[in-house]
Amino acid sequence: MKKALALILVVAAFSTCCNRGTTTTTTGRPTVAFVLKTLNHPFFVDMRRGAQEAADRLGVTLQVQAAEREIDVEKQMQIVENLIQTGVQALCITPSGSREIVSALVKARDAKVPIIVVDTRVDAKAAADAGVRTETFVGSDNYEGGRLAGEYLVKVTGGKARVGILEGIPGHETGDSRLRGFRDAVKATPGITIVASQPANWERDQGFNVFQNMLQAHSDIDSVFACSDLMALGALEAIAAAGRTGGIKVIGFDALDDAKKAIAAGTMEASVAQFPSEMGRAAVESAVKVIRSEPVPPDIKVRLELVTRHLLKPVSLLVTKIRRAGWRVRRSGEASTRRT
Amino acid sequence: MIIASSAAPPGARSVDAMAPPTSRAHRLLLPARQFGTVIGLVALCAVLWILTPHFLTVSNLLNVAEQTSINAIVAVGMTFVILSAGIDLSVGSIVAIAGVVLGTALQAGQPLVVALALGVATGFACGLANGALISWGGLPPFIVTLGTMSIARGAALLFTEGRPISGFDAGFRVLATGRAGFVPAPVIVMGIVYAAAHFVLTRTTFGRYVYAIGGNEEATRLSGVPVRFHKTMIYGVSGLMSATAAVILTARLNSAQPIAGMMYELDAIAATVIGGTSLMGGDGTLGGTLVGALIMGVLRNGLNLLGVSSFLQQIVIGGVIVVAVLLDTVLKRRNRT
Repeated sequence: MKKALALILVVAAFSTCCNRGTTTTTTGRPTVAFVLKTLNHPFFVDMRRGAQEAADRLGVTLQVQAAEREIDVEKQMQIVENLIQTGVQALCITPSGSREIVSALVKARDAKVPIIVVDTRVDAKAAADAGVRTETFVGSDNYEGGRLAGEYLVKVTGGKARVGILEGIPGHETGDSRLRGFRDAVKATPGITIVASQPANWERDQGFNVFQNMLQAHSDIDSVFACSDLMALGALEAIAAAGRTGGIKVIGFDALDDAKKAIAAGTMEASVAQFPSEMGRAAVESAVKVIRSEPVPPDIKVRLELVTRHLLKPVSLLVTKIRRAGWRVRRSGEASTRRT
Repeated sequence: MIIASSAAPPGARSVDAMAPPTSRAHRLLLPARQFGTVIGLVALCAVLWILTPHFLTVSNLLNVAEQTSINAIVAVGMTFVILSAGIDLSVGSIVAIAGVVLGTALQAGQPLVVALALGVATGFACGLANGALISWGGLPPFIVTLGTMSIARGAALLFTEGRPISGFDAGFRVLATGRAGFVPAPVIVMGIVYAAAHFVLTRTTFGRYVYAIGGNEEATRLSGVPVRFHKTMIYGVSGLMSATAAVILTARLNSAQPIAGMMYELDAIAATVIGGTSLMGGDGTLGGTLVGALIMGVLRNGLNLLGVSSFLQQIVIGGVIVVAVLLDTVLKRRNRT
């Protein structure tokens, strides 16, 4: 009996401390839900950080939830259904599947929760068929990022390379666009041959295994384009295991910290940087605008940048730091000069 | 215990049936053991009701039931298998392959009935293959289903070239989006599946043999029961259930994915075991499994509503599985002495 009483007391205490967090709707602080693909990837951790900063600044409560595995659309759908029940005023989501997620978005629409799509686009046709309207898309242009990587490869190899490609999960809009961008950029250069292109499903260990197998089959590979840095880092390990460190040019995507270290050390060639924390920030800002019935543009582009060894020299690092800290100037002109 | 109370074949001896004669303490503790999981579910709901105002609403409870339905249906097959002292690790992959066969048939313009039949038949065939290898090949269920888990997944990926098949017409999607009154269609399917499976398990010879094989396979065989045939059918049932879950999953996501259903085997095993079915076989009920699946569904839903971090959620769910089985084991041990 005593035990039961103690348990009730504990539960009661827990509930009062928890309720402080959840009774936000009564105090007029709007709640924005942010559903990520996963939280076991630095990219999404950064995105959450940016989103949280914006939420704190704008005085909204942020509810961040993610599936355990990046490809688990069904779990993401459950999370969306559950968050709708808590009466959130806006939903920011990074879809695990461009088409599959539409079923979840239909539920948000029925509950009249405005939708902000982040990072991965929703399939336009599937959304139109289901009558789902999204407020805006926040993300970087993955196709453009793939092009940046391809053009850089052409430049550093002098137009002669035998390339192995590590793809993301097949059917993923993000990876497919990067791949198309890269292929389009190298297509016009006859000296560049893509000798192998295999999915490594965004993962580091699979990047290792798949690239190790590629090296077995094509020992003459001299360049790698990986659609994400985790796969690129896996490939770096495989290259090291084969004793060919530095002999194969690896270009990745995402500019993770580990990748930047590898670029600075000269074992990796370059990586296309996205700015996930800016995506998170822009998404929450748009959500707040939508809640306040202010207009938002249908497409919010977040900048991309090619990180190379040159850029990671101490002087350049300092410059980038100052830029990021202070001048949040639109640098579209500068970016376009780099791309040419 | 259930066996002793109904007409059981001579060979049917569950673990409990071998326990010493009924004592007073035994009779008192029996309900606690039977209803332990129900009490757990009610307690969990009560805690969530106190913690969040969003939990105990009709729309949220229907939401939980709908989300639970897929795991609950897969867990029906898993309960049959575990009752017979086996294990089926291939259920998640069978969900995937049955789903892509169904999806492909639908997109090829086959009539709904034909597509459904093809999908379900695929699942059933995979299950039968498992069962045949286990009973006639004499291989351990763990190894066989581990193998088919990989084979079926690979086949699903090969079949679709790794790409999801999306976009079906409303006539099929009714299976997930439809409602009878206010009850979502997946919940109705779940209800029908449980009613039918419960009938099979408790009122048919096949059902009694499931318990008998799990209780003592050798004794069952010596009693003249065609054990091999029945074991094959048990895995067939598991495949059938996975295929049924695949139908709902495909309709729900409006997409058949070759990577669908990963880790479903663990969720189904967890639901079965939380529901009080013994991994040693011969002891357990479908009602328990349903409650087990609901506990997992309510837990996931509640943790989402509370905004608990997804890392902490995994810890809580793992903890609940261990505690549930621990309680069950303790109660069982007391029952015996």
